[in-house]
Amino acid sequence: MLGKLIKHEWKSTYRMGCLMLFITLLVTFMGWLSFQSPMWRQLREDSYNTSFGPLDFISIIVLLMYVFMLAGISYAILIYLGVHFYRTMYTDQGYLAHTLPVGKHQLLVSKILVNGLWLLIIYVAVFLSGLAVLGSLIGIFLSEGYAWVNFWHDFLEFVSDFAFYFDINDKIYLITMIFNFVLSPFVTVGILFGSITLGQMFARARVLMAILCYLGVGILNNLISSVVHSIVTFSSIRLNTAMNIGINSSQIVQLIAAVALYFASYYILTKKLNME
Amino acid sequence: MNGLIEMVGLTKAYDARHVAVNNVTLTLPRGRIIGLLGPNGSGKTTLIKMLNGLLAPTSGSIRINGLPVGVETKAHVAYLPDRTYLAGNERISEILDYFCDFYADFSREKAINMLYSLNIDPGTRLKTLSKGTKEKVQLILVMSRNADLYILDEPIAGVDPAARDYILRTIINNYDPNATVLISTHLITDIEQVLDEVIFMRYGNLVLYTSVDNIREQHGKSVDAYFREVFAC
Repeated sequence: MLGKLIKHEWKSTYRMGCLMLFITLLVTFMGWLSFQSPMWRQLREDSYNTSFGPLDFISIIVLLMYVFMLAGISYAILIYLGVHFYRTMYTDQGYLAHTLPVGKHQLLVSKILVNGLWLLIIYVAVFLSGLAVLGSLIGIFLSEGYAWVNFWHDFLEFVSDFAFYFDINDKIYLITMIFNFVLSPFVTVGILFGSITLGQMFARARVLMAILCYLGVGILNNLISSVVHSIVTFSSIRLNTAMNIGINSSQIVQLIAAVALYFASYYILTKKLNME
Repeated sequence: MNGLIEMVGLTKAYDARHVAVNNVTLTLPRGRIIGLLGPNGSGKTTLIKMLNGLLAPTSGSIRINGLPVGVETKAHVAYLPDRTYLAGNERISEILDYFCDFYADFSREKAINMLYSLNIDPGTRLKTLSKGTKEKVQLILVMSRNADLYILDEPIAGVDPAARDYILRTIINNYDPNATVLISTHLITDIEQVLDEVIFMRYGNLVLYTSVDNIREQHGKSVDAYFREVFAC
């Protein structure tokens, strides 16, 4: 049944997910377009005598819009996934979800997997968009005869030197970063869905309580993460220890919160479900 | 008695002052069409939600086919809620796929035939249908299952008399003698003709559980007339 739940959850979310991807593509084009005004090329050639015309003003506005819209996409998908989860679990549509002959673990896992995957896809798209736009900017400032291959070679050499100087294991760091990047959307969705489910424990204003629960969990997470981070940073003389443990500590706190909220959700769905 | 549903001391209290269902102990047999009757706020919908696992009882127990409410019972209970629980942007054919995937006892062929008999195109999106047609689609989905227990919450409320007739015909025509149909309604006159037994509820309490024949023989009244007598304001 888990496979079927995943299939239908995907079917009910793919339209919005694809729309978000399309918007990301459009926004990326906008970002690229913002660097096509004459100002940027003039900046490269002679930064002291660069003229600033109406087209350049528009390009700055478009660039700002790009940044805000890219950030907006990351938040919009999260809001959409939260609303979708709430609608399909705790409003009229929840009557169907909760009368299906499937276990509550299957129901929760299918939602976290599919929605977490969508969040990951959007995050990857946003990352690639940023990379593409940043690439177009770097491309303008690369000197003649200095190819992209050289740029990447020099960049990786710089990273390698930095890691060597501060005794950071760059391979482990990179693997940890990728692992965190992949895991983070599922953890985020787990916390979001858990908070929404916690909100259902209240007799009134459940949507408001769900939002407050999410904010509360977020604040608590940040607080604990900051304390752990501070302890690690101040107790570590070596930068590598602080970086390796410090960065992971907030992820671990979030992971613990997501797991705790998952089991709290399971308990609420099996023992305290209250579909009004 | 061959009990299909067994409720023992079933209670649902939303808070100390609001007890929606109070200590109901009842065994319902197979092969009956049972009316769950009572005025507004009598606890009918709360009872139905508990039977479907949508509400956790405060105390007491429910067993359906000898099993507590859970995955196994949901596979054998067809539930029609008093609201539209289907996503409006989906086509009826997609909803049929959904039911085929999750309910082993769902007959797509039966559902398609019923849809065509009402001139409803399976390719139509649900949001384009009228309220009455949506209710008919939901009823078709429920009655296209070969379930042990059909629970219908207010199936004829809010639809015109012609639609009511259709809904009642659908219930009777698709009724399996080994299954039980539990129908909650206010509109007793319309539904009385199909009922075998009735349950009267008031303020969350079980007032009466008897056969329709018994009411007619002992009290010389129709169910509707007897209901009006019992629940006279």
